[in-house]
Amino acid sequence: MSTSASATERRGIPAAAFVEDVQTYLSQLNLDANSALAFLQERLQQYRVVEMKLLAQQRDVQAKIPDIEKCLDVVATLQAQKGTGEAVVADFEVSEGIYARARVEEAESVCLWLGANVMLEYSCEEATVLLQKNLENAKASLEVLIADLQFLRDQVTITQVTIARVYNWDVHQRRLRQTAASTSES
Amino acid sequence: MQQAGSSGSEAEVTWEDQQNINKFGRLNNRLHELDDEIKMAKEKNESLEDASNELILTDEEVVRFQIGEVFAHVPKEEVESRIEEMKEVTSKNVEKLEEEKELILAQMAELKKILYGKFKDSINLEED
Repeated sequence: MSTSASATERRGIPAAAFVEDVQTYLSQLNLDANSALAFLQERLQQYRVVEMKLLAQQRDVQAKIPDIEKCLDVVATLQAQKGTGEAVVADFEVSEGIYARARVEEAESVCLWLGANVMLEYSCEEATVLLQKNLENAKASLEVLIADLQFLRDQVTITQVTIARVYNWDVHQRRLRQTAASTSES
Repeated sequence: MQQAGSSGSEAEVTWEDQQNINKFGRLNNRLHELDDEIKMAKEKNESLEDASNELILTDEEVVRFQIGEVFAHVPKEEVESRIEEMKEVTSKNVEKLEEEKELILAQMAELKKILYGKFKDSINLEED
């Protein structure tokens, strides 16, 4: 098991407190069962909102990774052809459904799109290094996101279990009170 | 995965129980992700199969092979060996994913035994 027992929060996400005993928990919070349930439900909602956000971020990063790998492929192909003296002939899409033929001789450099309407020229080796670094960064971000999501889901599970236990405790208490009331009447 | 508390007094939930429940949840999530990944990898394998079959049928010497976003003109033999390589990689990937899936299913079965053993009807670990 990971250190989730000791983490009180992670990247701004508060950890769900584990409840040893429902009675103690409710008296500590000074809440009755219904208010506690409302509080826990609200917490659950907040967790869900953060989960949506993280999932969206994860999808973005997961889409970026194959793109970077494709770019690395292309640069590698251009580099491979450099030595042979042959030109690389490729068909590329000019517009949807329209393709044109390109002839690339001796690719000395490539241009990389850096975003924000900026494109820079790099030598093939420099481009490979840059793309590799971007790929590693993307993979590292993905790992952090996945760990965050796991932590978050654990907190959701703990909260769900706590809600069930508080509810059951409340039902149990009502039964006890009913039995006590009917015994005193008889 | 659902947890449903039932009526009636049940065993108390310890921190260890909670951790088991959390672990079960994580494994279940990973299982769903794996199923998706396995499906995609198998589809990719099929596409590569189709591609290499088409290659055998064609009599062109130069094939347009997709690299990145463009279709480079590559001699047929090179395309054949590239596709073989890609098929190998994808098959190995499918194998690795299926192995991971087996492992996860085994772990989930273990946890089910432990949790059902303690909580019996008070917990529901089945797929909704």
